[in-house]
Amino acid sequence: MARKPLSPHLSHYRFAYTMATSILHRLTGLALSVGLIVLACWLTAVSQGEAAYQRFASGPVSALLRVLLALWLIAFVYHLANGIRHLCWDAGWGFERAQARRSARIVIVSVVIVAALLIWAFFFRGAR
Amino acid sequence: MVELTLPPDSRVNKNGLVYRAPEGAKKPRTFRIYRFDPDSGENPRVDSYEIDMAACGPMVLDALIKIKNEIDPTLSFRRSCREGICGSCAMNIDGVNTLACTRACEDITGSEVRIYPLPHMPVVKDLVPDLTQFYAQYAAVKPWLETRTPAPPDRERYQSKEDQEKIDRPSACILCACCSTSCPSYWWNSDRYLGPAALLAAYRWIIDSRDESTGERLDALEDPFRLYRCHTIMNCTEACPKDLNPAKAIGEIKKMMVSRQH
Ligand code: HEM
Ligand code: SF4
Ligand code: SF4
Ligand code: FES
Repeated sequence: MARKPLSPHLSHYRFAYTMATSILHRLTGLALSVGLIVLACWLTAVSQGEAAYQRFASGPVSALLRVLLALWLIAFVYHLANGIRHLCWDAGWGFERAQARRSARIVIVSVVIVAALLIWAFFFRGAR
Repeated sequence: MVELTLPPDSRVNKNGLVYRAPEGAKKPRTFRIYRFDPDSGENPRVDSYEIDMAACGPMVLDALIKIKNEIDPTLSFRRSCREGICGSCAMNIDGVNTLACTRACEDITGSEVRIYPLPHMPVVKDLVPDLTQFYAQYAAVKPWLETRTPAPPDRERYQSKEDQEKIDRPSACILCACCSTSCPSYWWNSDRYLGPAALLAAYRWIIDSRDESTGERLDALEDPFRLYRCHTIMNCTEACPKDLNPAKAIGEIKKMMVSRQH
């Protein structure tokens, strides 16, 4: 039998919104899972008494964690929005090409808006 | 298995042979085409052919035929009908799976036209992939009418106009494999995941009002891999040159799986 090489795939296929939204859903799903553990550790850490609270509620470690929390929030909003898109598909709605393109656009726009609002509400509202 | 890169013997040498346009070409355009010669023992490479579009038909298939006739008779590709109905000339053009005979060169933006075989397939030669497994998956969904009741003695099995309309679109599939080979899930799991083309065919028989083994057909798909490797990426529907919607058909099958449990 002659050898048959494998034709190029991922490196060659034009990267379109279909693959972008799909891989982002998986990546955010993974990031949320890891982030949830980190979040739980953080919350546990701040509850370990006065000194621990000082260390983890303010200062450089806390600043880093806050940045991570902001990223986690963005991931959450994307995963939620695109998750709703997935649930619509599971209910049989939105499979036409034009609909799928439009829903992808709606997801991206709403993620930008909702994530910005959430980050503002969490980190910039009030006297912090 | 997810293998992001190609195995060493499949890596493509991007600097293959270069064929320049003839003297006095009015509208030269470069076609960069994947080449693989099974007898050479060498890795695949990309050859560049500069041809004069002023003396060439409008479709990518016209350009391929021109190259084969006038420049390089060793170039291999499949084609037959040249009108989008046989499904032979499916390939990856400008990064997207489609039919060479219905894709106009003019519609491809960018100066070069890149032509590769269907993705993540064993390559027999040049643009000719081995479709053995793809056809076996089609056969696996039993793409024929299955009945238990005896046929009426004096006529065929009737069907209402509405019932026929349900299968009109899915029956228009030409088995070109553009959809399945555009699907990342199929790339990673083609040994166990049936892929959109076979699942569209399965759907076409599941919803056929005359078919009497709907339950068995669904049973055969009730499997974590055969059906459920579809993650609704939608590449298949985007790729289908016949404007069919395999992703929707798969969604409908998934819905039937749930609703028959109640
Ligand atoms: C912190 C909370 C969450 C975590 C940790 C999480 C994590 C994950 C993970 C790891 C996956 C698998 C990804 C893959 O294999 O492609 C996933 C898939 C999914 N998630 Fe979430 N998720 C969360 C919240 C949500 C919410 C709120 C929704 C509802 C809108 C949602 C909807 C979905 C859907 C529909 C899928 C399946 C997508 C598919 O069919 O491929 N998730 N999630
Ligand atoms: S919708 Fe399903 S079958 Fe179609 S490309 Fe996506 S994963 Fe593959
Ligand atoms: S569904 Fe479309 S892309 Fe897939 S095999 Fe049939 S005609 Fe080709
Ligand atoms: S040659 Fe028949 S589909 Fe292109």
